[in-house]
Amino acid sequence: MSLIGADVRIEVAEEHNPDRKGGADREFVGRTPWQLAWARLRRDRVAMVSLGFIVFLMLVAIFAPLLTALIGHGPNTQYSTTGLSPSGIPVAPGHNGFLLGTDDQGRDVLSRIIYGARISLEVGVGATALALGVGLVVGLLAGYYGGWIDALLARFMDILLSFPILLFALAIIARFGPSLDLVLIVIAMFSWPYIGRLVRGQVISLREREFVEAARALGSSDLRIMFVEIAPNLIALAVIYATLLIPVNIVTEATLSFLGLGVLPPTASWGNMIAEAQTGDLFTVAWWFLVFPCVALVLTTLAFNLLGDGLRDALDPRHGRSNIIPPTKQQRVLAKLRKRTAREAAREAERANA
Amino acid sequence: MTRFVLRRLLYLVIVLVIITFVTYVIFFAGNPTNLAGRFAGRDASPQAIKDAAVRLGLNHGFFYQYWHYLLGLLHGSFGLDYQNQVPINSEIARAFPVTASLVLGASVLWLLIGIPIGIMSATHPRSLRDRMGTTFALTFLSMPTFVLGLLLLLVLYYYLTQAGITWFPPAGYVSFTQSPAQWAVHLILPWFTLALVQAAVYTRLVRGSLLDVLGEDYIRTARAKGLSRRTVIYKHGVRAALTPVVTQLGIDVGTLLAGAFVTEQVFGLTGLGQLALNAIRNSDLPVVAAVVVLAASFIVVMNTIVDLVYAVLDPRVRLA
Repeated sequence: MSLIGADVRIEVAEEHNPDRKGGADREFVGRTPWQLAWARLRRDRVAMVSLGFIVFLMLVAIFAPLLTALIGHGPNTQYSTTGLSPSGIPVAPGHNGFLLGTDDQGRDVLSRIIYGARISLEVGVGATALALGVGLVVGLLAGYYGGWIDALLARFMDILLSFPILLFALAIIARFGPSLDLVLIVIAMFSWPYIGRLVRGQVISLREREFVEAARALGSSDLRIMFVEIAPNLIALAVIYATLLIPVNIVTEATLSFLGLGVLPPTASWGNMIAEAQTGDLFTVAWWFLVFPCVALVLTTLAFNLLGDGLRDALDPRHGRSNIIPPTKQQRVLAKLRKRTAREAAREAERANA
Repeated sequence: MTRFVLRRLLYLVIVLVIITFVTYVIFFAGNPTNLAGRFAGRDASPQAIKDAAVRLGLNHGFFYQYWHYLLGLLHGSFGLDYQNQVPINSEIARAFPVTASLVLGASVLWLLIGIPIGIMSATHPRSLRDRMGTTFALTFLSMPTFVLGLLLLLVLYYYLTQAGITWFPPAGYVSFTQSPAQWAVHLILPWFTLALVQAAVYTRLVRGSLLDVLGEDYIRTARAKGLSRRTVIYKHGVRAALTPVVTQLGIDVGTLLAGAFVTEQVFGLTGLGQLALNAIRNSDLPVVAAVVVLAASFIVVMNTIVDLVYAVLDPRVRLA
């Protein structure tokens, strides 16, 4: 039972109280913070377009085998006759049925980008989820208990953050051999302290609040207070920072793959596609097999960053642009109806005058 | 002051011990005979592998090797590399100027780009200029360094050269002592690559922090006593807003000085990043450990400098 939780609902429809100042325009509908946030987000056109793009990308990743079957080119098949010119030069976009051209081995760039989306999202979302889980638990423990537990965990996070991250990620991956799972785990390992520190700071202030005191007075256990009472208040923060961490992790995966210590060819990842385009300056002969994976990567990170910014504005209106309460659908419809009736009444009056 | 610096030095020593230890653990988590085998040459006999292990000191226990390494560090020596048995100190002396030229040049550039755009955004919030500033920041924030670097190479080097305009040289490095002009010309594209991506971070940082500062009471007081807008913004606002920038600059320069991996890889600069990357690929433990030590030292030293600068910027901060 969370006292400031999201399930407190106040329905005060002022529709039937015409004496009230402001008249029928001031009907109040109680909405949960989440409904308000969603209403704010929906008015943010940039964030909605980004959300649309992300959903589209996820569908592409999920249905990758279907899509490449429709295109008719597998991601790793080398089309040595149709995909390469007689002198071995990649086919330009739009020729021989290759919409985005082929790479140096005669593979379809579009199919590879589609499969690359799978890797990017899998690592980006997977590593972020892992980091979020660890960060939440450690942050809660450190913030709630304080004392030596906090000192130990906080110092541990500080030291982890002062590691030269890329250098260590590369060293670990080189030692144990590159694989998708290892890349995911290493990225999560170095990104959870960011979440952990944020959560810790929030928990330190939340644990002094009355609802925690109330729960303790009711005899709740520490675990219950942490995960049932305090944790729901961290969801907004977690959603915002997870959305902003996903693009960072996607770029880290691409960077590791670009440096040859992430996802290894022939498995297509945007990072290793770009690395292949760079070897021997091949991109100067066939720009498309450098530019298209770059575009995919930039659009994806941009979409997540824009959505993250929109979410921050929507969920934390104190810092945002939209410190307003947007009208509900019902209110919008009513306002429109009212405007129409007013207009008709005016026309009626005019006609009566004439 | 002396006490402060001494305490920082102690902290540096502790961090170095932890970080080098972790590096050693990572490398020895596999098995060392394997490691000796790599450097004994192709198709080496068991005896040759054993010899290699002795030569590299791999026949001793883990803790002995680690202790030996720490003793070397204490004498200011990083030891010999596994691959060619060359002193690592000289390899680092060769690579460091490249990375330092890249990072220091780029940091000047990203401050010159990032801070003015941030100030412009914060002083005209929600205007068209703010939107343009924010768009700039988000675009480059979403642009991985290697994407920007390769696209710059493709357009500014390759296509321009093809069109007969040879403003930009291909990848490579010319040392400052050899020819200062060529040094700068060869570094222009890497500088901009690194600087644009970083400038985005600083734009957002300055915008956010200046917006906060301009909302403070003392800014209203300054306006109320009749100071000009310019004085209020620059003397009272920006100065206070720059503290997080100093912190970030310390972290960034410290981290990058130990190797700007991606930029070096894209532009073929043989700096510390390339040195470390090659060492990692070859399992050349002492070289990796050396770069790790450098990286950690740079980070801690930069943090110390940042704290000292803080005390100068803000008299309320006392160094105890």
